[in-house]
Amino acid sequence: MAATAQPMQKPIKEANGWLTGLVIWHILILLGASAGVYALYTAQILLPEWVRWFSLGALLLMVPGSLGAILFIPRRDHRGRTLSLLVNYIGFLLCVLAFLQFIGVFAGFDELADRFPRSLPFFGIAFAGYLIYAFADRYENSPRRQRTIQRMGKIVMLAGLLLALLALIGWEAVPQFVQERLQVPILLLLAGGLLFGLMFWAMWRRPAAQAMQVNNARQEAIEGYLLLSPNLIGFLLFLAGPLMLSLYTSFTNWDGFGTRDFIGVANYAKLLNLTFAPLADARQPANQVVDVRVYDELWRFSFLGHSYLVAAADKLFWLALRNTFLFGILVVPLAVLPALGLAAVLNSKLAGMKVFRSIYFIPSVAAVVGIALIWQWMYNATVGWINYGLLVATNFFNSITGLSIVAAQPRWLSVSDTALFAIVVMVAWQTIGFNTILFLAGMQNVPKVLYEAATVDGADARRQFISITLPLLGPTTVFVLSTSIIAAFQIFEPIFIMTNPAGGPNNSTLSAVLYLYQNGFQRFNQGYASAVAWLLFLIIFIVTLIQYRRQGNTSYEL
Amino acid sequence: MITVRGKDPGVQNTVVSRPEVQRTWLHRLRKLALYALLTIMALVMIFPFLVMIFTSLKVPSDTFSYPPRLLPQEQLTVVMPDMDEPAPLFNIEVDGEKRQLALVQDNIRIGIYADPNALEVTYSLPVREVKPTGGFMDQQTITIDGKEQELWDVEVNGQVVQMIQTGLTAYGRFVDPNDPSVEVLANVRLSEPVTRVTARPQNYTEVLQLNGLGRSLTNTMLVTICVVLGQLVTSVSGGYAFARLRFPGRDVVFVLYLGTMMIPFVVLIMPLYQLMVQIGWSDRLVALILPWIFTAYGTFLMRQFFLTIPREIEEAALLDGASRLEILWRLFIPAAVPALATLATFTFLYAWNSFFWPLVIINTGNTDNHVLTLSLNVLRGRAADSPNLVLAGAAISVIPPMLIFILAQRFFIESATSSGVKG
Repeated sequence: MAATAQPMQKPIKEANGWLTGLVIWHILILLGASAGVYALYTAQILLPEWVRWFSLGALLLMVPGSLGAILFIPRRDHRGRTLSLLVNYIGFLLCVLAFLQFIGVFAGFDELADRFPRSLPFFGIAFAGYLIYAFADRYENSPRRQRTIQRMGKIVMLAGLLLALLALIGWEAVPQFVQERLQVPILLLLAGGLLFGLMFWAMWRRPAAQAMQVNNARQEAIEGYLLLSPNLIGFLLFLAGPLMLSLYTSFTNWDGFGTRDFIGVANYAKLLNLTFAPLADARQPANQVVDVRVYDELWRFSFLGHSYLVAAADKLFWLALRNTFLFGILVVPLAVLPALGLAAVLNSKLAGMKVFRSIYFIPSVAAVVGIALIWQWMYNATVGWINYGLLVATNFFNSITGLSIVAAQPRWLSVSDTALFAIVVMVAWQTIGFNTILFLAGMQNVPKVLYEAATVDGADARRQFISITLPLLGPTTVFVLSTSIIAAFQIFEPIFIMTNPAGGPNNSTLSAVLYLYQNGFQRFNQGYASAVAWLLFLIIFIVTLIQYRRQGNTSYEL
Repeated sequence: MITVRGKDPGVQNTVVSRPEVQRTWLHRLRKLALYALLTIMALVMIFPFLVMIFTSLKVPSDTFSYPPRLLPQEQLTVVMPDMDEPAPLFNIEVDGEKRQLALVQDNIRIGIYADPNALEVTYSLPVREVKPTGGFMDQQTITIDGKEQELWDVEVNGQVVQMIQTGLTAYGRFVDPNDPSVEVLANVRLSEPVTRVTARPQNYTEVLQLNGLGRSLTNTMLVTICVVLGQLVTSVSGGYAFARLRFPGRDVVFVLYLGTMMIPFVVLIMPLYQLMVQIGWSDRLVALILPWIFTAYGTFLMRQFFLTIPREIEEAALLDGASRLEILWRLFIPAAVPALATLATFTFLYAWNSFFWPLVIINTGNTDNHVLTLSLNVLRGRAADSPNLVLAGAAISVIPPMLIFILAQRFFIESATSSGVKG
């Protein structure tokens, strides 16, 4: 890789030829990219807004990059190589991505699904090839036979994959595809991509690297970025970029299509707009004390003999926030405390604990949507298992005590008193197993020496649990609590599936994320919904911050 | 820490005062109680899945039976000579003997009659067979507790007794299919049907044809495979770069990566949606794949694993002239199989189970591009009338991750434990 070999005359000569070519190439790029920047900036090329900004950014990187390359390559400065590689890499990616987009590869994923079933048998063949390959390990004593079987396995595997790919792409569509899609501009993109790739390769090669006086560290840095690049580009494109845009959007009144005016903090102001008003008596109508064109009554309360009214500009947001908090307060203890107890039991060295551990984990691997459907059926008021269980339990209790309590048969999801609680129970049930595993791991990290010492000192099991396990479980507990709280604040799917209309009855299960969804994707107030998202993020951020603080304080060493 | 420390010599020293017999007895009892607790908890965890599987195999009418029962059952029927449809069979007690009788007629109006002088004894007879005392026009009455009640002529054991009507109900007429002379009137609702355990796997084939659920199963598989493979590639290369290569800005970028791990998805959902719309990927499967193959979590996981691989091996390979990609392919990937399996299983779960993003990006009407969770969301509209189909759909979406879990549970549980709890 690195330029450590003895300099030789011939490669250097060849490299010099390539490097001259590269300088010319970069002059061409400089001109082309500048023209492209101008065209994009003055909107002579019509592209969707974000694609335009993205291309503009990429081209803007290429202009100074090429300029630097033109200046540095003749001086054989290693920076010239870095810049040249960067420019060619960007150009290559742009061309290839555009090419793939225009020939419809990305959109073609939809049609892949058509042909996916027929490619499955071929994937099966490939898997059989892998099995053959793995089977070869049995013949470790006779390397020749092992190698033969491995080769056979490889051939089967490759053939299977190739056939699967062909079946997936659809060989019968190729001629039509070539006719329809491969037109001159698209072919130009392909040619551009190939040229960029070729130039990249020319600069990457060892002779060029030697000529540009690249040392090991510099080479390593370039390789590092190159290896990171698929991830980094995705990160910028699908995470960092959208994140910034989301923040900006929260200060606009974007409706998702046309209107997008910067309106400052108006969204946040409306969301957080609360007002208090003293009431003459507890039943005074709200319109006498607050401006009902702006505010909706949220709740009234009495304090020290006086009645007060709280009203909000966006009543639903505060209701959603209240429900979300209520959900969190209910679900976190229900999902964490039993998990702690179960973990304590599982931590004992009894036989069969691994089986129990696995069983408890099962609900957390299943899709929330599927589970919500099961529970919806179990919550059925007339023939559901939960109400039947309540009935049986009450009858059993009555037969023991001789009382005659009438079994409660709530209409769980259709009444506002019980709907949120029903969802709490389901979510707690689903997450207990995962929390148990986390606690168990924490417990197994506690050094055995401590228990041995405590036993010598005469502490019994309960004493040991309270004085050793619990304190040393601190970091785990904080982790479990904060992940549970963070998840609770994002509750959406069970509510969306199980309640009808979602968030009902009577907004009793309207959660913050559901409110965001309704605003952003049903009413298309995307600016407003973004503001909701950022407020939610703020809350979650504070919880996470507290977690890191606490974790720093309670870590132990031994 | 409720460990049982019978083998520990230290314990035996501390509890010398107690008799050995009593100790083992208590010990066993506690062990039993622990197992009971664990078993009950395991049942609670498993029960909803049993409900799902058994309900998904039920015949439609069985799903609404009360009290609810787990095993799918169907009522036995018998073909009666003078009836068009097969008659359902019930267990009816005839003269102290339980017999299987066929229900041949339903909704026969039955009056419940009692002698005014002995109200405790009631007689149930079809209304047709009872005549008003004194004729229809001029029915006699009797006053009981200040309430005037009509009198009826009821034939009991060949004797006509004047009785009052205390209630009305509907009975069914049951006949022994083998012996038509045995005929009984009984309440159908309270009678116990003759059933046998059955299974209706057609629910699965039916639901796969419904709402394009079969298509969405294919889509889900395709999307999941692509996301898992894509994420493995980007995470391995990114994790290797972070773990092993020195380049300026590496640590800053890494901290940024870590920071994004705690950003809730809801913050991203709107701009990501806009981005997809502008590239023209909204309503398309590619929108479910490409944004999800770059994750900070996977990169982090692979980096942590690669850090544990000794540097010496790599340096030797570098001196031999191997390229970075060769080192990655020949040294790091084979060594990282457990970490790769962990990442693959978690990504599989995430991709397979995701619902919010598909809900946002794929149009409800475009069923060709639905994934399983979306189809289930559509299917849930039928929950009220055919839960057997809905739960069959749920089973199709729930069982594959469970199978994967059972196959790869070692990786699951290990990585769940290592995903952040390191003191």
